[in-house]
Amino acid sequence: MTDKLIEAFTEMEEEEVLRIANEMLDSGVDPMDVVDACKNALEVVGKQFETGEMFLPELIMAGEMMDEIAALVKPKLKGRTAAATLGKVILGTVVGDVHDIGKNIFGFLLDAQGIEVIDIGVDAEPAIFVEKIKETGATVVALSGLLTLAFDAMKATVDAIQEAGLRDQVKIMIGGAPVNEQVRSYAGADAWGQDAVHGVNLAKQWLTGGE
Amino acid sequence: MENDNQLAFQARQKRLDDAIALGKPDRVPVVPLMSHYYATRAAGISNAVAQYDIEKRCAAHREMVLSLDFDSAVDSEAIFNGKILEIMGMTHIKWPGGTLRDDEPFQFSTTETLKASEYDDFLADPSGVTARKLWPQMSTALAPLSQVPFPPLYWASGDYDLNYMLPGILSAPPMLDMLKRLVAAAEEFQHHKAVVGKETQELARLGYPTVFGGVTLTAFDWVGDFFRNMRGVLTDMRRNPEKLLATIEMLIPATIQKPIIQARMSGVNRVFIPLHWGGAGFMSNDQYERFYWPSLKALLLGLIEAGITPIPLFEGDYTPRLEFLKELPKGKVAGHFDIVDRKKAREILGDTMCFWGNVPASLLATGTPDQVKDDIRELIDLFGDTGGLIIDGNDGIPDEARPENVAAMVEATREFGVL
Repeated sequence: MTDKLIEAFTEMEEEEVLRIANEMLDSGVDPMDVVDACKNALEVVGKQFETGEMFLPELIMAGEMMDEIAALVKPKLKGRTAAATLGKVILGTVVGDVHDIGKNIFGFLLDAQGIEVIDIGVDAEPAIFVEKIKETGATVVALSGLLTLAFDAMKATVDAIQEAGLRDQVKIMIGGAPVNEQVRSYAGADAWGQDAVHGVNLAKQWLTGGE
Repeated sequence: MENDNQLAFQARQKRLDDAIALGKPDRVPVVPLMSHYYATRAAGISNAVAQYDIEKRCAAHREMVLSLDFDSAVDSEAIFNGKILEIMGMTHIKWPGGTLRDDEPFQFSTTETLKASEYDDFLADPSGVTARKLWPQMSTALAPLSQVPFPPLYWASGDYDLNYMLPGILSAPPMLDMLKRLVAAAEEFQHHKAVVGKETQELARLGYPTVFGGVTLTAFDWVGDFFRNMRGVLTDMRRNPEKLLATIEMLIPATIQKPIIQARMSGVNRVFIPLHWGGAGFMSNDQYERFYWPSLKALLLGLIEAGITPIPLFEGDYTPRLEFLKELPKGKVAGHFDIVDRKKAREILGDTMCFWGNVPASLLATGTPDQVKDDIRELIDLFGDTGGLIIDGNDGIPDEARPENVAAMVEATREFGVL
């Protein structure tokens, strides 16, 4: 059954996924096993996204199926604690920019990789990033932006983190359509993500102690 | 003087036409597609004032075109009129002076206006669904259309009904308010159009041709931007592919007819098509081939057939799609590129379409004049021999561009662009 569930998930057969999951739960399978199977499937989807075999439509479908499964098992999982995560990433679209598509895709991918995402939304003032670093102790900060005004906003955010004396505690990456090495250097970030997958790999590296 | 201007107008027009036709112009043209707030910022005018004060915006725009001496008038209509936005109560657009701070640019914040289960309703009655379901979500002025029972228009196709039913429906207080707001918006538009029209004529008299005379979207983007939003349109490719394709198919003729009418009215036979969802990452090449390319190709060919030059702005990274573009007729499409592998574009499309744009916004905003000149030189070295190079930023002139960098872009084109 587990194999069938994984297969249906990676084939994007939504109705089949829900049917099998319901059947498993009805026959007394541990709800965590259902979740784990879907997480395995999600990992396959993530890898295929990374290698260019799957694209955004599949990624979003996988996210929606995962949400549906979560809603299904949630009532049966009361009292259980959440699994440990790889670490925390503070994620937000910088001040002046209200675009969220890129940020949300990136957040979803991080989440799928077992990274806790602290999403502070769009149009986020530098002070909010600073506050969140203090509050959560996160060691990775990801700044998103689509507009060209984001170049200055990213720089202002990095500067604010520096002024708060927190620059050595965090690694900062920037991402978004107009972002490149020139913007990274201008803003004073540690790295820029060419795309969401690249950014996730960076976050994983940083959270596991890599440079 | 007047005669000189006329000759300059013709020379600039020919330079652009030649480049688009891959016909080796006298010099590589430097033609920014548009400027949002660059011109007004350079004149010390806030984004909020630019949004609301059309006279000031036009004056700043003219100053920019004349002082930088571009090879066109550059489009100044890329930002909306704040007064009209306000009267219409547009809910998906945020703008400075409205819900954004004075120094921010306007931005879209769209939602899903048409549910997946409503595709059939739209296909059966597109005008009715637009009026009763879509407009009320997009504009507070038109919200009454969802509250007051508004029958299909053909119900009033008899004299008795027209004379009785229509005034009757419109007499409801919310409908009367709606009409008053529409009249106010229309009056504001008259003023706006008069100022912009005069400015366009003045720039033409001074020798600067208008870049494009119409704007259209391709059908997939229409559905993705305005009806279904990202999550909706991308999951529809999996969940409701047939309905998505039927809606795209149904919209194609409108995507072609709208800009043809605009082009005829403006007398400028170039049409701008900003493309949103076809870039790398959004979908695979197989999905692009099934869901995106057929309607885009139909639009481009439809415009060409009507004697119009389409200017598609390929937003995002278009490198994986270059082979598709090769199917287009040579020298008929003015391809404007945002992000792309230049060398691959040269190799694959060098004999198919011109290469317009692609000077990174990051370079114009944060680089130095020397870096900008190097970039222009690289473009000219790479594309000069195709006869089809047009210089511009990747998306027009970025608002935050350093003035010395924009000047360097023009200077370098003049310096290296005579081949």
